[in-house]
Amino acid sequence: MIYGDRNLGVIVQNITGRQGRFHTELMNAYAREVGWRGIVAGVAPGKAGMEVDGVPVYNTVKDALAEHDATASVIFVPAPAAGDAIMEAAYAGIELAVVITEHIPVHDTMKAIAYAKLHDCTVIGPNCPGLLSPGECKLGIMPAHLATRGEVGVVSRSGTLTYEVVDELSRAGIGQSTVVGIGGDPVIGQTFVDALARFEEDPHTKAVVVIGEVGGNLEEEGVRSTDLPVVAYIAGVSAPPEKRMGHAGAIIEGGEGDARSKVRRLSEVGVPVAARPSEIPGLVLELL
Amino acid sequence: MKLLEYEAKGVFSDYGIRIPKGFVIREPEEITAHLQEVGDAVVLKAEVDVGGRGKAGGVLMVDSTSAVEKARELFSREIRGVPVREILVEERLEIEHEYYLSIAIDRSSKQPVVLFGDTGGVEIERAAKEEESAIRRALVSPLLREVPAFLMRELLAGAPADIAPVINNLYRIFQEKDAMLAEINPLVTTPAGVYAADAKLIIDDNALARQGIEVNRDLSEREREAERHGFSYVELDGTIGVIGNGAGLTMSTIDLIDYYRGRAANFLDVGGGADQERVMHAVRLVASLPSVKVILVNLLGGITRCDEVARGIITAGVDVPVIVRMAGTNEEQGRRLLAEHGYRMVDSMEAAVRVALEVGE
Repeated sequence: MIYGDRNLGVIVQNITGRQGRFHTELMNAYAREVGWRGIVAGVAPGKAGMEVDGVPVYNTVKDALAEHDATASVIFVPAPAAGDAIMEAAYAGIELAVVITEHIPVHDTMKAIAYAKLHDCTVIGPNCPGLLSPGECKLGIMPAHLATRGEVGVVSRSGTLTYEVVDELSRAGIGQSTVVGIGGDPVIGQTFVDALARFEEDPHTKAVVVIGEVGGNLEEEGVRSTDLPVVAYIAGVSAPPEKRMGHAGAIIEGGEGDARSKVRRLSEVGVPVAARPSEIPGLVLELL
Repeated sequence: MKLLEYEAKGVFSDYGIRIPKGFVIREPEEITAHLQEVGDAVVLKAEVDVGGRGKAGGVLMVDSTSAVEKARELFSREIRGVPVREILVEERLEIEHEYYLSIAIDRSSKQPVVLFGDTGGVEIERAAKEEESAIRRALVSPLLREVPAFLMRELLAGAPADIAPVINNLYRIFQEKDAMLAEINPLVTTPAGVYAADAKLIIDDNALARQGIEVNRDLSEREREAERHGFSYVELDGTIGVIGNGAGLTMSTIDLIDYYRGRAANFLDVGGGADQERVMHAVRLVASLPSVKVILVNLLGGITRCDEVARGIITAGVDVPVIVRMAGTNEEQGRRLLAEHGYRMVDSMEAAVRVALEVGE
């Protein structure tokens, strides 16, 4: 598994919000099931002294870390304040920030990721479902019951499509080492390259499923960067061509970001590309 | 959201970037009143949000005597299918040299990238492909407020030094206006100084509220309704209505319909944490498309709860058949609710698509 195991102590930022509260309960239920330490503290400004699902709440990340041993944070803070929440976590010493929030302005994301890097904090997301290492830990909102423990890594730009693929893998008897949703925004903390580098160092991971979408060329960049066997699936092949972002988009990305040309380029570097999610397990079995 | 050229030029001008003298007209006759401000040689530019506007005849070089007539001609035309409602009338610049300048986001390094080329104009993409050195690029930390001098030197190489302030002003615009792209092509040198002859500014949709920008583009009634509820919504030309949660899963559903030779009527992503009311509005919205014969709902619960989804479908109460595939959080409650109200639940995405195709025929 990558990014952490059952010893990982985790806090939740905006634990008193609707989603924060709901998913804290689900994460703690998973912690009890697999023997993971789970959510040890929560943060919500002005709510110190409260409890959510038996978890003590603090005003700041710093206050929470003064009382609890945690190195990761799951962030449910609303978009306008989410960039600041990432920086607060990094400054206070959090090493891994998993950002679930969607609709964060991209400039806030860029600044927060750059700032987090200065404090040696790894950011996953934003606009992501988080990560799940079956039998170890779950940081975020992935439905845990679809996953099974095993040796295949999954890295994806999507949320729900990831659950679909995990479900297909589990039904075919293929377990997962870690499933990580890196997020669908133009700027994300962990790209395919970053996640694949972690999988490569993980002795429990034998192959990786890469799930991509239209736009950009990060999938291709990722599979070129790794020696691990990879199966890819790209969503959006039947979508009308994406609106192009002026000349700069084409110049930076060196080609079209549409799904069909992305599939073609992945095939050209020798990566099997599934036409449907249901084809993924078969292609994975061929590699193992 | 992409601003129109004159809107972008207004922003550029506010930040001290020189733009050609000009004004916007909505009727051909409006030209006469202001023509003396821009001189005898003028450019008429159709203010439409399409690429390749110049090549499609949306930019005309005229003189003052024929300006009204040419403007009338341009107003009667469509540029790549888009009607011309506004024309930007500008002075014609005495161009010495054209450069290319843009600032965008480099996804792989997660920071802004400044691109500068010694040759600007419409052939810039081809030039960039043929010769890598045609465009120089500099990655700038998003924590900095300006382009560092050493990077500025690399970007400009031999280009005139008075371009440097333009680059820094554009960089300020890029940061302060929450831009995804700020582009000047061409950036021109003239005897009177450096000018932005064209302007492109795309604002991050997630920052429109704090930028005080209201979206008022041409939307259909249904598109407006979708926007009100915060759905991602695109109309397509098939008969199978599609509602999913998450862009990836929804796209994948449409791909699968396409794989089985069906055609989706739309793309609708209800987003994360869809509650009963949002799902109800989504189902009603898609059911209101005249072409829709069946609605396929494909939802996987993560942040979405299946029981809420089921209640939404039931309260929508539409006449079109609804095929439901759900899995995830509170799945059993959702399944039970739907069954009680006679809705068809299908276990897998593939099966759901096949059932929808059968029902839709």
